[in-house]
Amino acid sequence: MMDKKPLFEEDKFFLSRRKFMAIGAAFVATLALPVAWFSNKLARRNDYIKARSAGLYQDDMIAKQRVSHANSAVEKYYAEFGGEPLGHKSHDLLHTHFVDRTKLKS
Amino acid sequence: MTQTTYQPGEIKGLIEIEASKCKGCDACLKFCPTHAIEGASGAVHTIDQEKCLGCGQCLINCPFSAIKETHSALETVINKLADKDTKVVGIIAPAVRVAIGEEFGLGKGELVTGKLYGAMHQAGFKIFDCNFAADLTIMEEGSEFIHRLHANVKNEPNAGALPQFTSCCPGWVRYLETDHPELLPHLSTAKSPQQIAGTVAKTYGAKVYDTKPDKLFTVAVMPCTSKKIEASRPEFNSAWQYHQQQGQDVPSYQDVDAVLTTREMSQLLKHLEIDLANTQPFDGDSLFSQYSGAGTIFGTTGGVMEAAIRTAHKVITDEEIAQLDFTAVRGLEGVKEASVTLFDKALDQEVTIKVAVVHDMGHNIEPIINDIIAGTSPYHFIEVMNCAGGCVNGAGQPIDTSGSGWIGNLG
Ligand code: SF4
Ligand code: SF4
Ligand code: SF4
Repeated sequence: MMDKKPLFEEDKFFLSRRKFMAIGAAFVATLALPVAWFSNKLARRNDYIKARSAGLYQDDMIAKQRVSHANSAVEKYYAEFGGEPLGHKSHDLLHTHFVDRTKLKS
Repeated sequence: MTQTTYQPGEIKGLIEIEASKCKGCDACLKFCPTHAIEGASGAVHTIDQEKCLGCGQCLINCPFSAIKETHSALETVINKLADKDTKVVGIIAPAVRVAIGEEFGLGKGELVTGKLYGAMHQAGFKIFDCNFAADLTIMEEGSEFIHRLHANVKNEPNAGALPQFTSCCPGWVRYLETDHPELLPHLSTAKSPQQIAGTVAKTYGAKVYDTKPDKLFTVAVMPCTSKKIEASRPEFNSAWQYHQQQGQDVPSYQDVDAVLTTREMSQLLKHLEIDLANTQPFDGDSLFSQYSGAGTIFGTTGGVMEAAIRTAHKVITDEEIAQLDFTAVRGLEGVKEASVTLFDKALDQEVTIKVAVVHDMGHNIEPIINDIIAGTSPYHFIEVMNCAGGCVNGAGQPIDTSGSGWIGNLG
């Protein structure tokens, strides 16, 4: 059975996993996942990352403006309300501070 | 008084391992950026919540679905949508639009901005694109960087620390706050797009929507679990503080009232029987749906840096960058480096800016941090994202289960 050429890349893993399962559930708990599980997982993950990133780069290409400073809504925000970048209102509303979490107590 | 890494009010214990389902297979350990997961191989594992960033990478990679989130605002949001006295503002992160389609049978990575706007509009949300807020982040963070750069070149006293780190990723921010607080001056003080969006919606937005700020309910739709913790940080009530100073006297509210993951938003739409795949596209209902291409690429690794360089080029040289695609910071290499040489008008000299982009933080950040501590870092500006690939692969995104159907069979 193991000699059969796998139809999909996943099959190889599937079969070895079936064999692995046959060892019994009690054993499963003490055995590490096969290396193939990780390479398979990472390959799938990277496929998704690439496909979704391509979607965002497409969104960038079709955007009417491709740079933040040319967004007229941004301009409007500063003109009507926010003042200017790093200005007083920006300091109060758009900036923050960070916390040294080694010094917190409860 | 015991030591804690949480401020009062912050969500603690967001990500949890269910003892009854955990097989002790150790897979999660390989994805955890902070070694927060404990337990011997074969035994039930647990999460040390003090070290945990809430990034959820363990959750999406556990082959036995043994890890869960303990906090969901889904019901609250459904109730707010039904409440006629409340205007519910939906803040949509960049990475959501290229993933939520997967939950409705559309292709992997398919861009569905218009359909998502349409579906959320139908559900009763006002549309606030977080990409608009990302554009504001660039204006603030980019200006801050140029300010620090100039002060350093001129050797001014109290010049801000370089390299400057991006601060959009709450997993990364919490990591630095917990493990390397001495480097906090390197973080850009600009809020993340989520927090800028919430604040703007409840200040300027209150005028745009012609609604009292305490009648606005802001819901961030995020590819991320850690964003839930970020929204709960006690200092993130700046809209309330602002209105307080203007004389309003109401109980405190957060800038972002609720965070839904991409998965939770698709659950909400399904609950309301809205099929995103067959929804008419919608353009938005205010200037808050207007965004640039620079804002949208925030959702992938390198995007913040690319967006910042596009704007910094204009500010420093007074000219638009000729080649918008800054490909050196794209792709999946763990640490990407680039440098740009520009003629700085204000300084009347050439400057060479060295940048680095880090994702999959747990595997790639330590050498960068060690160089900064040793004073040998070659960089001026560094983007850091916790998740491999950036937010497109955040733990709030649809989970690909197609390859692991067999695993449920295991006792
Ligand atoms: S990956 Fe899941 S099953 Fe395996 S040790 Fe971690 S929590 Fe337990
Ligand atoms: S949520 Fe992130 S930091 Fe917390 S245990 Fe899981 S992988 Fe580690
Ligand atoms: S990289 Fe993005 S999705 Fe991942 S923790 Fe950071 S903000 Fe969240």
